[in-house]
Amino acid sequence: MHIIMVKKILADGSPCKKCGEVLAKMEADDQLKYINDVLIADERDAESAGMLLAKKLGVERAPFFVVTQDDGTQTVYTVYLKFVKDVLNKVVSEKEELQELLQNSPDLDFL
Amino acid sequence: MTINHANAQQWATDYDEKTPQEILALVLDNFENAAISFSGAEDVVLIDMAAKLGKPFRVFSLDTGRLHAETYQFIEKVRNHYKVAIEICFPESAQVQEMVNAKGMFSFYVDDHKECCTVRKVAPLKKKLATLDAWVTGQRKDQSPGTRLAVPVVQADAAFSGAGKQLVKFNPLSNWTSAEVWEYIRANEVPYNELHGKGFTSIGCEPCTRAILPNQHEREGRWWWEEATKKECGLHVVNLK
Repeated sequence: MHIIMVKKILADGSPCKKCGEVLAKMEADDQLKYINDVLIADERDAESAGMLLAKKLGVERAPFFVVTQDDGTQTVYTVYLKFVKDVLNKVVSEKEELQELLQNSPDLDFL
Repeated sequence: MTINHANAQQWATDYDEKTPQEILALVLDNFENAAISFSGAEDVVLIDMAAKLGKPFRVFSLDTGRLHAETYQFIEKVRNHYKVAIEICFPESAQVQEMVNAKGMFSFYVDDHKECCTVRKVAPLKKKLATLDAWVTGQRKDQSPGTRLAVPVVQADAAFSGAGKQLVKFNPLSNWTSAEVWEYIRANEVPYNELHGKGFTSIGCEPCTRAILPNQHEREGRWWWEEATKKECGLHVVNLK
């Protein structure tokens, strides 16, 4: 299994707040050891590795995780707690996971 | 059928300039286990289009328990008009009870709408989507107050896909404007929610939706007591030139 994390740098050069929060949480929980590559999606540079990967996969949120299994199967996670539950097999509160999902999905406002 | 992110991206490119009907046909031709999400508003045009395609289709609707009476009547009207079984999805009563008993019936005016939406809308939606391979929404690009909300016509749904299962989301009306939707409704005599005639543009739950004035953005009819939603986590390319 190979895991890529994509984090974002905003148009003004500052780091994405949510990405920072997720990274801090992962560091505190000793989860960074599972990440094979960290790519930067720099909003100022459409050719940055993270922006290119986001474009290729049709992902519009950051941070996000790309998990490639040994058989080549690829899964993209835009909800950190879902990634933690599904891939790292950690126990996650359903309510917290859904709240993060809603927070990351403004399009759900229109359902 | 099995689809991955790359396939979905290819479809998004290939179908970006196709008509909503062509996109709906793509769904119905390729996914036996797909359903249209119907909110009880102008996304009824998707049901009308699907009915005219003459292919079998499914529809589901989220009943949060707080919809307008007019919306319930409209859902029933659509069920009868199109002779389609609308699969109604309810929130878990224990979760609603816990929230309401702890915070009252109108906690969203004090906190914000997120917790209530999580319990009444997102949880039942997640449960429903876990049973599907593809879903269809009436989401459009012009529903966002800015220009940042990306609504591709086809997308691999990273938010609701489960481990080992890729859910695909279709937004056939993405490139249509509100005016084009209403032109279709009038031209095809599609039934519509009475609330639209009372100044409601965006229709959600009764306590959280209100009529708007001419030239107000439809987003202003939802959660008006909250600051406009920030979309900080979106990926936006800046034009450096």
